[in-house]
Amino acid sequence: MGDFVSNLSLGFSVALSLQNIGLAFLGCLVGTLIGVLPGVGPIATIAMLLPITFGLDPVGALIMLAGIYYGAQYGGSTTAILVNIPGEATSVVTALDGHQMARQGRAGVALGIAAIGSFFAGTVATLVIAALGAPLTSLALIFGPTEYFSLMVMGLVFAVVLARGSILKAIAMILVGVLLSTVGLDLETGEERMTFGLPFLSDGIDFAVLAMGIFGIAEIMRNLDHTEHRDVVRQAIGRLLPNREDFRQSYLPVLRGTVIGAILGILPGNGAVLGPFASYTLEKKIAKDPRRFGRGAIEGVAGPESANNAGAQTSFIPLLTLGIPPNAVMALMVGAMTIHGIIPGPQVMTKNPSLFWGMIASMWIGNLMLLVINLPMVGMWVRLLKVPYRMLFPAILMFCCIGIYSINSLPTDVMFIALFGLVGYTLIKFGFEPAPMLLGFVLGKLMEENLRRALILSRGSLSTFIDHPVSAALLAVAAILLVIALLPSIRKGRDEVFTE
Amino acid sequence: MSAAHEGSGTPGHHGPVRAPQGIAGGILLIALAALALWLTKDLDQGTLNAMGPAMLPRWLAIGVGLSGLAMIAFAFIREGEPLERWSLRGPFFIILAILAFAVTIRPFGFGPLALPGLDLVVAGPLGIILGGYATPEARFRELLILSLGLTPFCMLLFGDLLNLPIPVFPQELAGLFPAGWSQKAIMRAISVVMVVAAVAIFLATRGARTTTIDVADHSGRI
Repeated sequence: MGDFVSNLSLGFSVALSLQNIGLAFLGCLVGTLIGVLPGVGPIATIAMLLPITFGLDPVGALIMLAGIYYGAQYGGSTTAILVNIPGEATSVVTALDGHQMARQGRAGVALGIAAIGSFFAGTVATLVIAALGAPLTSLALIFGPTEYFSLMVMGLVFAVVLARGSILKAIAMILVGVLLSTVGLDLETGEERMTFGLPFLSDGIDFAVLAMGIFGIAEIMRNLDHTEHRDVVRQAIGRLLPNREDFRQSYLPVLRGTVIGAILGILPGNGAVLGPFASYTLEKKIAKDPRRFGRGAIEGVAGPESANNAGAQTSFIPLLTLGIPPNAVMALMVGAMTIHGIIPGPQVMTKNPSLFWGMIASMWIGNLMLLVINLPMVGMWVRLLKVPYRMLFPAILMFCCIGIYSINSLPTDVMFIALFGLVGYTLIKFGFEPAPMLLGFVLGKLMEENLRRALILSRGSLSTFIDHPVSAALLAVAAILLVIALLPSIRKGRDEVFTE
Repeated sequence: MSAAHEGSGTPGHHGPVRAPQGIAGGILLIALAALALWLTKDLDQGTLNAMGPAMLPRWLAIGVGLSGLAMIAFAFIREGEPLERWSLRGPFFIILAILAFAVTIRPFGFGPLALPGLDLVVAGPLGIILGGYATPEARFRELLILSLGLTPFCMLLFGDLLNLPIPVFPQELAGLFPAGWSQKAIMRAISVVMVVAAVAIFLATRGARTTTIDVADHSGRI
């Protein structure tokens, strides 16, 4: 307990320096500004804004990036409520009741409860991270390559189970992702693999380029396919602060959402995505009058938004303690950390405690900033949302090009976002979901490395993965999950959760 | 490529194919797997004890190919999605814009062809205007004003405020300014010129709106 307090106070002493508060503020602001644009999710936002943190010291850069992430998340919810265009999977649920509230002239209350719920969830999640950080890190130290490999397999199985649409397609996407990660020099032998002899491919495909192409450019192409009818709320935003009745209705959903989101967020393999869906389904199940849902029930905004934010934050746990990014956003964080010479993993906490705890403390500050920035600035976001898409997308395109160019100063990187944009568009058109592919790509290199080491240690015997008890347990969980997901009855339920 | 798939997909409603999208996706996966297998054919697979560079890619490619085969098989058994309609205009102009940006942002050589570096001051507006035509609603006047307004914003934000290593203007242009001016001063001056031009075009064409739009735009008038 004493450790807990002293660690947090170390963190706050770092995060509360004037410069770092300013960076957290700036990060939240620009994150919201880009994230609020329709059709731009957190992944594209972070990839676009990654270069602006390059000039900072590592602590400042990570604090700002975390701020950008929360800002992008919250910006997505704002768009979902005001325009009914969810920027990403997790705010789909918010759009259901949030947009109905907005049409009833209660947009302000919806935004308000989303911000307050998120803040509460963020506060709890920060404490969870601080409490779990140390024990999980020591757990990580006893993990060998065998356990790491099995853990990542489990993460990928999670991602398959949680992906929308057909399981077969999700498996194919993961395999393609891992396959893409093997492009480039082989680490052991130094031989070039699948590079077409092109020198800029010998380091492998750059993650930011892949993410920007698939989530930024492909998204623009897809949005252009639909003739746009954006229904920005014409009603007044109304008062922002929920009244006593609203609070009475939403405090329990916020609490439940926070717990659900925080637990799911820790799971490897993008468990956070499930949080809002689970919370919404739960609230609807236990509501006295489920018919209110979909027609502007405040619980339908409060619960999922809290779950969303709690999950967004606890998904830092696998990254900070085990060094395994659980989703694409965290993979971008890995990229950012590597640029600043930090290798994510258990050693960060022991070797660089001020960075570790400073970042955790800044998460809470970031959440507070969101509350402060967003509520007074709602008017500005509404005006931004009224800009027609034909004016917005050339601007988004330009930010993508400049952003990706300034990471490595390579024109080939810019060309590759066009290529991956086309690939992403093709995949979407054929009904594949690109998110699992990105996760496979992220984990691919780590998996190959650990697989090799594990097999060298066991002298080439595959049974090592079952002989190690921890590894066997992880693989068993993965197998059970996959079997459950394939059972017809469960599959139906899963489809229902996602179509709701 | 898309046309061929659509051709095989349309009669699928009557024939044995129940999920044209599954067929197309399956073919895509198998093609990808074949490409990967061909690219790794000369590499050593090694043994489990000492994995060679080709081991993992090869097995992954086989997995991808099998998924593709399974998808095609399912397409004959289970009812599935039809192929979505493709639009070519969006992707074409977006890709064109990105490529134009990439080859003009700094000197670019491709075989015998060598392009001078025109930097952000040209690459920006070029990308914005070309990209803007990805939608049928594009209007030249709007895009011109947008490009002249947004480019200086990017120049000042990325070049001036954030000091990112992005080439902003060609050095030949610096000759036009007094010798004592610093790079940043020139950058700011160019930005001001562009913004003034944007405002001037906005004001000058405001009255003549109906005529200009008739020329530039055929689909949606105001």
